Amino acid sequence: MNAFVTPFLEIKELRHDYRQPDGSYAQALRLDHLLAARGEALAVTGPSGSGKTTLLHILAALIRPTCGEVLFDGHDLFAAGHSAARWRSLSVGYVFQEMNLLPDFSVLENLLLAAEISSVPKSDAGERADSLLHRLDLWDHRYSRPSELSLGEQQRTAVARAVIHSPAVVLADEPTASLDAENAGVVMDLLMGLCAESQTLLIAATHDEAMKKRFERVVNLRRPVPAAVGPELVSSREVI
Amino acid sequence: MRLGVKVRVSLRHLSSRPFQTISAVFVVALSSALAVMLFLLAQGLRDGLIRAVEPFDLIVGAKGSPYQIVLNTVLLQDVPVGNLKWSDYVSLREDPRVDISVPLAFGDNYRGCPVVGTAEDILRIRGGQPVQQWIDVAEGRWFDKEFEAVLGAQAALESGLLIGDTFRTSHGVVLGEEHDVSFEVVGVAARAFGPYDRAIFVSIESVWESHDHDDDDGEEEKDEGEVTAILVRPATYPDAYSLAVSFQHDTERQLVFPAQTAIRLFSLMGSGERFLSIIVYSVAACSLLTTLLVLYWSNRDRRRERALLYALGAPRGTLVTISWIEGTFTLAIGALIGELLGRAGVYAAFHLLGDATAIDLSAPMTIHEAVIPIIMLAAGSFGGFLIALSERTGDSASLKIR
Ligand SMILES: Nc1ncnc2c1ncn2[C@@H]1O[C@H](COP(=O)(O)OP(=O)(O)O)[C@@H](O)[C@H]1O
Ligand SMILES: [Mg+2]
Repeated sequence: MNAFVTPFLEIKELRHDYRQPDGSYAQALRLDHLLAARGEALAVTGPSGSGKTTLLHILAALIRPTCGEVLFDGHDLFAAGHSAARWRSLSVGYVFQEMNLLPDFSVLENLLLAAEISSVPKSDAGERADSLLHRLDLWDHRYSRPSELSLGEQQRTAVARAVIHSPAVVLADEPTASLDAENAGVVMDLLMGLCAESQTLLIAATHDEAMKKRFERVVNLRRPVPAAVGPELVSSREVI
Repeated sequence: MRLGVKVRVSLRHLSSRPFQTISAVFVVALSSALAVMLFLLAQGLRDGLIRAVEPFDLIVGAKGSPYQIVLNTVLLQDVPVGNLKWSDYVSLREDPRVDISVPLAFGDNYRGCPVVGTAEDILRIRGGQPVQQWIDVAEGRWFDKEFEAVLGAQAALESGLLIGDTFRTSHGVVLGEEHDVSFEVVGVAARAFGPYDRAIFVSIESVWESHDHDDDDGEEEKDEGEVTAILVRPATYPDAYSLAVSFQHDTERQLVFPAQTAIRLFSLMGSGERFLSIIVYSVAACSLLTTLLVLYWSNRDRRRERALLYALGAPRGTLVTISWIEGTFTLAIGALIGELLGRAGVYAAFHLLGDATAIDLSAPMTIHEAVIPIIMLAAGSFGGFLIALSERTGDSASLKIR
């Protein structure tokens, strides 16, 4: 990576503490430094509770970190005046571990609704949805409700939805954890393939060794040491 | 997100929970219907009474409750309090302060239609909107001798009698012992749009005679009988008060201003109405609360879906709008169905009541009866907005809800 070019993503001294019901703070994430470029595929690993989901939530601007900086193209994600909703809708694609889809809407409607939220023009959205449905082998299921799909089909739909608006970054939170090995392989291939084609940065949380091997870079998170409760901790505020 | 898409998302949410949606709509519809019905019925009764009272400037009757006199004479309901002498009528007829006086004798019926013994002067009474001849002959002719009868428009329909038919009257307001004499139908009156549409008009002498016949001494000379009430049209407005003064200390007779009595009746009705209104408002409030509760729970149920839409980048305002449309749509449909149901119910009730009393209840529809549905819609819509707003949307923990 050329050090003189502004990196696409730069994370500095990132730290997040959740406020506990008893008023104390629990350390959830520590990440000193991270650089990533467009088109890269990055695995975030670590044991359960090491802050993988928290990191992805921060990158989607769903929560504001306790301290630290997240820079995309050199711009602070949490700078005043930066719209979190706009960031999510235009630049982020998100794949959750499961229950990704709106249950009352068909596969096609789930895709089109996501495109609508991301302000993709209607005709482009239709074309893009059709080609993704064909490519992810979901065409025959386009009018099915999520409850009528297998888990593999549901995750493939989630992958299609995450890329329908050609985002700059796709965040995938253990996208294959609820799938068998075969389906997990298919879903991960599709996800990585689609992101690579469109120069999209893929950041996928996983604690599966087999999955880890597919990625060129792996960021390992460690569970932070239990917090020393003290006044020096800045309060954790969630983004509204 | 375009508004059309928001609406479609809301409608999908509603249609995918048909039971919740239908019960919320049902609850709103029912309470709106109750409110509309109460309002229209009260209005209709009031209008009907006002119209019925109109031809009656003054009524002279036996001492007793003025309400009873109005009930007997104007609405042809209930049993008369007592009778006046024929001489009472004669002296009023001769009185220069009296323009028209009409004797009225009640107490007989034919199949539930009241027989009204009267005189030709009744044809000179005017009333109605627009003002016209109150009782008028539409078919045939007016009676000109004893035991001839003219049927009110509704009485003609109810009795099935035609001109030329004969019938026997019975004693009493509803049914009773049949009199010996029979009447011949000679005419049918035009619609008067009031209780007198159910009347059967005969000469007052024939009422007396049909009673005399029952006494079985047919030889008795034509006795001057009794009069139940006298409808009086004063010559001038001051004459009305002068007449009232003359009756003030009368121990056997009284003079009633039916319009005033009706107004007092309204205020009596009014307090009953207020009580009913409180019940209706409570029902409406309860159904509103129920609806808001349904909205609240369905909103909670959708916490995960809202979080998902939020994670996809839908701004909070969009999510609030979608919930708000859901609530408002439910209430609007409920209120609309309630309005229609209420009107239908009132038309049915008016039909039944109208037939029984011939009070004209075809009250024109006004904006007022829609007040409760509109209030419910507005309050519910606002409440739904608050609920939508209060939902924790930005909470990333909601994404973990299974
Ligand atoms: N909303 C929350 N409130 C409080 N604590 C939380 C919340 N979410 C996660 N945590 C805690 O933060 C730590 C990191 O959680 P998470 O980021 O979900 O880890 P991972 O995804 O690696 O399993 C865990 O100890 C977890 O209990
Ligand atoms: Mg996690």
